[in-house]
Amino acid sequence: MTAIRLPRRHMLRAALAAPVILGAKARAAGTIHMISHRYPALEHYAAKMRTALPGVTVDTQLMPIDKAMELATIALSSKADTLDIVYASDTTLQTFVKNGWFRPLDDLWAKYKDEFKLGDFPDAVLAPYRIDGHLYVMPHTVNTMMFFYRKDLFAKSGKSPPKTIAEYRDLAKSFNSPMRAGTINCLKPIDAGINEAHWYLNALGDGWFDKDWHPTFNTAKSVAAIEMLKEITQYAQQGFTAAANDECTIALQQDTATMGMQWATRANSMDDPAKSRVVGEIDWVAPPQGHGRIAGDGFAISAYSKQDPDTLFRIIATSAGEASMREAASMLIPPRKSILDDPAMAKANRFYPAALASYESGTRAPSLPEFNAIGEFFTRRMLQGVTGETTVKQAMDTAASETETFLKGHGYYK
Amino acid sequence: MLFPLGYAIWLSLLNYDLGSGSREFIGLGNYQELLIDARFWITLGRTIGIVVCAVGLEFCLGLLIAYGLYRLTFGVRVLNLLMFLPNIVTPVVAALFLRWIFIGRWGLISGLLIGWGIFPPDFLGDPSWARVTVVLADAWQFTPFMILVLYAGLNTVDPSQIEAAQIDGAGIWMLLFRIMLPSIRPLIVFVLAIRLMDAFRFFDTIYVLTGGGPGTATETITLYTYALAFRLLQVGKASALGVLTLLFVALLVATMIRVVYRREKGAF
Repeated sequence: MTAIRLPRRHMLRAALAAPVILGAKARAAGTIHMISHRYPALEHYAAKMRTALPGVTVDTQLMPIDKAMELATIALSSKADTLDIVYASDTTLQTFVKNGWFRPLDDLWAKYKDEFKLGDFPDAVLAPYRIDGHLYVMPHTVNTMMFFYRKDLFAKSGKSPPKTIAEYRDLAKSFNSPMRAGTINCLKPIDAGINEAHWYLNALGDGWFDKDWHPTFNTAKSVAAIEMLKEITQYAQQGFTAAANDECTIALQQDTATMGMQWATRANSMDDPAKSRVVGEIDWVAPPQGHGRIAGDGFAISAYSKQDPDTLFRIIATSAGEASMREAASMLIPPRKSILDDPAMAKANRFYPAALASYESGTRAPSLPEFNAIGEFFTRRMLQGVTGETTVKQAMDTAASETETFLKGHGYYK
Repeated sequence: MLFPLGYAIWLSLLNYDLGSGSREFIGLGNYQELLIDARFWITLGRTIGIVVCAVGLEFCLGLLIAYGLYRLTFGVRVLNLLMFLPNIVTPVVAALFLRWIFIGRWGLISGLLIGWGIFPPDFLGDPSWARVTVVLADAWQFTPFMILVLYAGLNTVDPSQIEAAQIDGAGIWMLLFRIMLPSIRPLIVFVLAIRLMDAFRFFDTIYVLTGGGPGTATETITLYTYALAFRLLQVGKASALGVLTLLFVALLVATMIRVVYRREKGAF
């Protein structure tokens, strides 16, 4: 038998060449990579993307929003082509577009307008996704924070949903017990903390910024608003400082909390017997005193993707098609007119009236590309105030000072 | 090894900000900014606190268990293997286990305590408890490493020294502290230096368990570096912080070796 002789130099060459050849093969196979935040409606859309085009493999990675955005930031800031389709919300979009990480969709939108009935998206829904006249995102959801409450417990104690935040505080106190918290609070940095603070700052305080982008979250009114949040957290579920939407949703579903603010996209899961112990017991109203956060989600195309833009657009558009959205209508507020105007849909989804009322009384986050970065200062300092490590006033002053320094470095306040 | 380090040093000299798109040479500007940044000093102090508590706990526990194993006459191999398991688990996976153990209300510990009628503290949500939890989590994972190294060290002590001490009436603790520990001092310094360097880079466990929170209660220097780079997109400043951390750890370890061996020149 003749022994096969493999010189070391050949083996080294083969080892070096293997990743290049295998990598090229993987790309040639046409696998498209999508990264997204994760909640039931987005899971539905991810499933639709995976089967959108015959013969095209779509790898979908879904994870909590902070992780998804950090991974996307790492990939796109290094101009890597490892991501093709990227989740975008109205706030993350600002940063990504400013950095040139997303491809404008105008040409593709015009090309496929009829095929995918893109005229069905209301202008008001598309507006947050237009920057300098270019559209960057195809909307998949319209989202709003609503007030969730246990109608059975309220009825039993003869109470009504709160009309003001002060009433909410009193109700949270009265319902609080060791086994069931009076309220949920979701203050995990960054996204969840921003969402909750947004309501207090806009309903009770002076909001986030003045017209020149100077922080207003440390004015006397805003500090009082965060003091109110601090007071309410006395009746919150355990772990509220590290709780995001998932943890808060579970606290409501598992009967360990009575009420609180949460996204409309989480409403339907309260009635899912596989996940919830309180099926049919949760009801919703618009946030007391309005000003809950409204937002939207969608998908954009990476500016560094090497895949065919038409293919990517068709995948996104298929997942956002009318049929797909009708299937997902119980998990979100669909951004298509044909579905929104369908009375049967509103009847079939009992959270729609509260969601629409919340949307009408809600406010968007400031349209500032640096908003998420500022959330890093704000949420950490706010938590220092809320947990008593510093006073709320000190915490907000520190956050405001850090924000001013940061924005000054980015060319603001000229 | 030198290229990434050199590149990090080069980046630390730039005002490289992905958010504003700037990339200009500013010399030591990032270092100056960090050295007057209160968050940097607070984070450094907190890191030292967490590292000292965690490594101290690991050393004490590790030494006690290693000595126990040393004196054990049977089952040492099996026990050693079982105790080493936490150290084999990937830190992120270990942190996920620990998160489900410590998480409030439905975590394993909270569940057990509630079952016994005790309402548990918020292990991850209360600033003081969060720091304790982070230290315990690190100790759970890295005490086995201490046990392994110290046990191996104890077995290298000259048996004739031990016998002589026993003949002179030394008890088990005197034997440990007067005979065995001085004999393995180089090994102790080695294992402490390794763990100190490692603990300063403590990231994965805290990132999964608390994300540096609540607030900034468990924010260490590596988490601050991460926030600068990937949340605030200040790559230059993050690189400068990385270089400062490297210098600090190098200085700490050099000082430690110097103090321990000030009377024993040439021990290393």
